[in-house]
Amino acid sequence: MSAVPGKYLTFFLGAEEYGMEILAVHEIIGVLPITRVPRTPPFVRGVINLRGRVISILDLRRKFDLPAVEPGPTSCVIVVAAHAAHVGLLVDRVSEVADIAAGDIEPPPPLGAGVRTDYLVGIAKSAARVRLLLDISRVIDAGDLAAAGPDGGAPTAA
Amino acid sequence: MPPASRRTPRAILSRFDELSAAIGRLVVSDLETRGALRTDVLALIDHVPAREARACVSLRLVAEALRPDRDRGERQPALHRAALALLEAVRTYLASPKASDRLSLIEGPERSAIAIMRNLPEASPALKPRTSDLIGLTDRRPRSVVARADSLPALALPNDTDRSLVGDFCDEAREYIESAEAALLVLEREPDNGEAAQTVMRAFHSIKGTAGFLKLDGLVALAHHGESLLGERRHGDGFAGRISALSLRALDALRDTVKNLDASRNGAPLAYPPGFLDALRELEDIDAEPGAPAAEPAGPRAASAPARDAGATHSARVRLDRLDALVDLVGELVVAHWMIAQDPASGHDHPERARKVAHAGKLVRHLHDMSMGLRMVPLRGTCNKLVRLARDLAQRAGKEVDCRVEGEMTELDRNMVELVADPLMHMVRNAIDHGIEPPEERQIRGKPAAGCLTLRATQMNGQVVVTLSDDGRGLQRDRILERAQARGLVGPGEVLNDADVLDLIFAPGLSTAQQVTDVSGRGVGMDVVRRNIQALHGRVDVQSTPGQGTTITLRVPLTLAITDGMLVRVGDERYIVPTTNVVVSFRPERSALFTVGGRGEMVRLRHDVLPLVRLHRLLDVPGACDDPAAALLMVVGAGERRCALLVDSIVGQQQVVAKPVTAGIGDVPGISGAAILGDGRVGLILDVPQVLELARRAQPNTQAVA
Repeated sequence: MSAVPGKYLTFFLGAEEYGMEILAVHEIIGVLPITRVPRTPPFVRGVINLRGRVISILDLRRKFDLPAVEPGPTSCVIVVAAHAAHVGLLVDRVSEVADIAAGDIEPPPPLGAGVRTDYLVGIAKSAARVRLLLDISRVIDAGDLAAAGPDGGAPTAA
Repeated sequence: MPPASRRTPRAILSRFDELSAAIGRLVVSDLETRGALRTDVLALIDHVPAREARACVSLRLVAEALRPDRDRGERQPALHRAALALLEAVRTYLASPKASDRLSLIEGPERSAIAIMRNLPEASPALKPRTSDLIGLTDRRPRSVVARADSLPALALPNDTDRSLVGDFCDEAREYIESAEAALLVLEREPDNGEAAQTVMRAFHSIKGTAGFLKLDGLVALAHHGESLLGERRHGDGFAGRISALSLRALDALRDTVKNLDASRNGAPLAYPPGFLDALRELEDIDAEPGAPAAEPAGPRAASAPARDAGATHSARVRLDRLDALVDLVGELVVAHWMIAQDPASGHDHPERARKVAHAGKLVRHLHDMSMGLRMVPLRGTCNKLVRLARDLAQRAGKEVDCRVEGEMTELDRNMVELVADPLMHMVRNAIDHGIEPPEERQIRGKPAAGCLTLRATQMNGQVVVTLSDDGRGLQRDRILERAQARGLVGPGEVLNDADVLDLIFAPGLSTAQQVTDVSGRGVGMDVVRRNIQALHGRVDVQSTPGQGTTITLRVPLTLAITDGMLVRVGDERYIVPTTNVVVSFRPERSALFTVGGRGEMVRLRHDVLPLVRLHRLLDVPGACDDPAAALLMVVGAGERRCALLVDSIVGQQQVVAKPVTAGIGDVPGISGAAILGDGRVGLILDVPQVLELARRAQPNTQAVA
């Protein structure tokens, strides 16, 4: 699948600028107190209370194997709807909502720079900037996450 | 459906007004106008929105009252008035779709119209309104609808069918089927119970009526024969086993068809279930036997109020997701109020505010109780299903079983009812298949030929306790032990007490059945039962006396929405331990702690020796207290397993609303859910059975968690 032109929310992880389709974005919030969840992979930061709902927070730096840093004053959580649930993505800084035209999109290179290429659906080049476009539902792969726990266990009480 | 579309279009309502005026002007002798008006009323039916099927029944009645070939005598003016009143009532009914008890608007006028028509001279018996006419059925016997051919017209809904009407029909039909099933089981025991027979007939009749609207001819035929099966013949040769078996088959066929109908709303292909045609055939055959009476309509009351049982308390249908959302929200309110109450600003320094907060708290608790009550349903439906299952299984196995149900009105959260049904079915299967002996064997042992299966439900201490007892052969301790040793579940030299041996039936892969039947004995079952029940924060226990029977006890909380928990601190983290799993907590003397070579750490508590589990190690919590004598041990248990969890301290006891944490993470071993704590942060709820399992695996070469 390749990236479709349209509005993208862009954000930074370190010096790299990424984009995700704005339609997937539910809201952007500051970093709330996070409760660590034991026995989960390192990229799972934990869970937060978002107005009475418990949502999980994934650290995109850790997910993309970038050097880990603690959340700073510009850090944000982008809440996205994926796989019938809301999930928060911890990023360093939210940049802007950009209109990305079809002509600006190039297919992802065969070998991504630091990012696993299967999340990448394209590269947008415009005004001397390079943005890596993500397929967010692949980043939050339900199967990947479910497999993260060592075993299934009982269904969770709803 | 958007609210706006619930309204009946204004144009139709004004057509009502025109017709009302015309009927008001009608002269008794003017047969021609009467006929024309009747045609107009019938034409109007086609314009009434399909979901207002009930109004169409009344309109048909109006048309009936206007039939020109009806009596021309002194009653005619009264009939006109009745028709007029009914027409106006239907208009009001259609104009107020949200009135709370709108059905009563038309029921009264309807009854008077029917009463007048019934009292017309016998000279024209054909004109007497038959209920089947009123609800849009043709007068011919359904036999002609379903020709005795090998094929049934394909199950299909007319293109203009209102889909929401189908949904309502499915819900309603399911309720009727359930009540009819229960009543049939009563009839088997008490063949003369007229009320039960009425219930069954009314169910078939009502399904027939609505199916007629939806032009589901096959269903109409089946329900029709089902109804007539219980008609007059019931009084003749009594309630024979054949009739009961057939009626149950008819209900099964109906249920399966309704299931397909319901699924078709989401795009599944629509077809009659397998066996439908056979059931219909058989019913037709029995109906065609000489002397079989045609179905007597179950009376105008049943036909005119399909959605309500006589004498039942009025109720409203509410969508489940809305109800769940309400209950969740109230749960949040309880927690939010708790946060306010904990706030120092509403403490003793401000007595006025403290009083207001306390008052609000009382209201919130009341609201909470009420909202939980909304979702509570009696276990009766489940009990009926189990009795039916037991009966079918016993028949198949050539055994005789007498089922007794006690406490069927015990209430449980709707969501829980569904979740305990499966484990209970497993248990019933086991009891019939392995517990209760064949009649000959029972007689040799000096027991009555018919086995006794008792299902008992009670509520105590915020828990529902369901026991299933049989008076069968009981569990064979030696066989269980033999199997367990063969499977390596028990070491060769290990000594177990009787309770431990019986508890082995819950171990995965253990089956003592001598032969595998098609219903149970495949070695899966009781372990699944225990797992499912533990997932509900409940427990399962077994008691058995050889030769005298087995009793299995399920204990589950009333609801899953709220968990009563102990909040514990481990390092900088806090966890919630469900109170049902907590046995006791204590600070051990240093002398009570010891290590068994290769068996890990243990702690002595009075006469027990328990494995010690350092929770912080299991959950990787940094900075937690590592010295049991300086911290706290919390003894937790699930089933027969126990261990002492090392925690830093107990923060307090708290009711929490359990929420899933799996979204975006997947299942987390050892954690059953999350809850919002008093300070607004999220706390995780420990899954004690899984914690015990994790602890056992963490020390693989030991029997640490015994």
